[in-house]
Amino acid sequence: MATEGRLTRRTVLGATATAVATPWLWRRAFAAEPIKIGMPTALTGALASVGQQQKRGAQYFAKLQNAKGGLIGRPIELLIEDTAGDPATCVRKAREMVERDKVRIFLGGMTLSSEALAIVPKLAAWNAIFMSSDDGDGRLTASDFVPNFFRANTSGPMDTRTVALWMRASPLKRFYGIGMDYAWGHDSVNSFEKLVKSEKRDFVGSVFSPIGTKDFSSYILKIREAKPDAVFIVMQGDDYVAFLTQAHEYRLSPKVQMLTSIVDLASTRAVGAAAQGLAGSTRYCYSYDIPANKKFVAMWQKAHGGALPDVFEGEEWQACEILAAGIAKAGSIEPAKLRPALETVAINSIKGHVAMRACDHQAVQQGFMVRVVEKPGASEPALDVIAVYPAAEVTPPCRKETYPD
Amino acid sequence: MTVECLNALSQSALLFFLGVGLTLIFGIMRIVNFAHGSFYMLGAFVGYSLARLAGSFWLALVLAPLSVGILGALFELGVLRFLYRRDATAFLMVTFGLALAIGEVARLVWGSQPLEVTTPKALSGVIFLFGLPFPLYRLFLTGAGAAVAILLWQFLERTRLGLLIRATSQNAEMMHALGTDVRLVRSFVFGIGCALAGLGGVLAAPLVTASLGMAVNVIIDAFVIVIIGGMGSFAGSILGALLVAFVQIFGEYYFPDFAMALMYLVMLLVLVLRPGGLLGKEA
Repeated sequence: MATEGRLTRRTVLGATATAVATPWLWRRAFAAEPIKIGMPTALTGALASVGQQQKRGAQYFAKLQNAKGGLIGRPIELLIEDTAGDPATCVRKAREMVERDKVRIFLGGMTLSSEALAIVPKLAAWNAIFMSSDDGDGRLTASDFVPNFFRANTSGPMDTRTVALWMRASPLKRFYGIGMDYAWGHDSVNSFEKLVKSEKRDFVGSVFSPIGTKDFSSYILKIREAKPDAVFIVMQGDDYVAFLTQAHEYRLSPKVQMLTSIVDLASTRAVGAAAQGLAGSTRYCYSYDIPANKKFVAMWQKAHGGALPDVFEGEEWQACEILAAGIAKAGSIEPAKLRPALETVAINSIKGHVAMRACDHQAVQQGFMVRVVEKPGASEPALDVIAVYPAAEVTPPCRKETYPD
Repeated sequence: MTVECLNALSQSALLFFLGVGLTLIFGIMRIVNFAHGSFYMLGAFVGYSLARLAGSFWLALVLAPLSVGILGALFELGVLRFLYRRDATAFLMVTFGLALAIGEVARLVWGSQPLEVTTPKALSGVIFLFGLPFPLYRLFLTGAGAAVAILLWQFLERTRLGLLIRATSQNAEMMHALGTDVRLVRSFVFGIGCALAGLGGVLAAPLVTASLGMAVNVIIDAFVIVIIGGMGSFAGSILGALLVAFVQIFGEYYFPDFAMALMYLVMLLVLVLRPGGLLGKEA
């Protein structure tokens, strides 16, 4: 009895002391050295919706990771600042983060490829690592490659490649291209035209609409007269939504297949029922049916009032996981140690198996084709994964933007 | 060809709602309303919310322009009324500021994502013209444009209030001297002009969704219509809307590379040949 009593008292005392001391020790250990991660992000401007997704994805990851005790025993501290999508502002904010906050790790952020291209030449001088989560420009892992840059996301050439692989197996023969009348629209429609021709299909015409076009009836008439099987759309924002709505109004879709790259939830939601049948590649899809993704989507929905994770929220999460795996492996955030560790990181992510490769720091990963479908009882259109292509076929050869076949 | 004409007619109906409001306001108050596009956008957003709440597009079609019109009239009562003694630049600044304010409020209330407004069930179908499907909703737009034009014309020509409006636009001081409350006429006309823009917004929403970009997208078109038709001329706004829509639609079809420039070319031509607009008073 006596022994038991003493033991109990001691246990209680000990437990109390530990309980009192733990938060203090915890805080002391943490307060010493948080891992500061810089994210200059386009939170306003034309690509604000993408930047906001990146922010949400990173913040959610940091919150969960910090609840688990952080990374290598240190808490994650995100420094998120608005660049408005301007490369010069992005460089200025990044430099401030390096000089003022001693940031050694950048995470996308850098919402536009033009921002990323402005940052990468400075990484060596800053002695900092940059993990991209959405920058699509092929040059970043080809002609403009620098050793401190890593790309966790699917790149632009990989988006188009996925569409090409899908096209090979599809019965569609005649293709038409419509794009917004500026550099991006022309570039993308032109490269799609080359792709169609290299796949031995017919490219039956293209047209470019001025930014801010409200009425697409003339364009739709032109497309209809060319009798294509599919239309490849290179648009964004209001114009994209208006075109899809009116293509459906004139019953161009779903008879003619609407195709695009990066099908996302935000746009399909705005188009509503008229988006039905739209197909395209995407970088992340909430409905990809593997256990890791199901678990992530359930968690995300619980934390975000039922909202599904969109393309760039999923991509941000994967980038965070790869970065975290690298830091854990290196046991440090010193670029000299972190770089070699990241070069061999491989994880089972929400997009399946993803492995960083050393030769150009592109994460080798699968490609997804999705289709917009109407699910009975659902308030908004759903995205169905209709094809998944193996990483080896989707990822270009080392330091290349083009594919041999 | 017929299909293109029908497309152009439906498009001119939407442009007419914008142009006629702007021209009415100019005619009676001699001010250029920079916030006109914003009232158009507001019409679409309010229409979206009303259609959601009431579950009926038709109710939204009546109530949204009404509420936008009331808002416009209140703005005239609360702000513009005190500026008539100032020169025209004051109106430019104030209405431009109003446009910015409406844009920000809309962003706060409805967010920056475009919002879907579904076409009413009865009009979501198509009819076949020469074997090609043509949306019923576009035909409805054409009809609505014609109906509003006739009603407005009858109102201006046949009613006492219409007479007062016409008289005030010709000589406000004389009207004032004759005992008409010119201030009331001004508030009323500003409200009507805004309501017409709002009506255009609700009607356009099923085609382009309700989005923040709407305001900027249409304001230039509206000014071009008024300049071509003649500032303050009712018939001119109809003519201007038709001309702009036909030039846009046919231009986009036959010369897609110059479609944008064509509209301005027509405007330039009108300005050179008839500086006051096709049906306007000589400037």
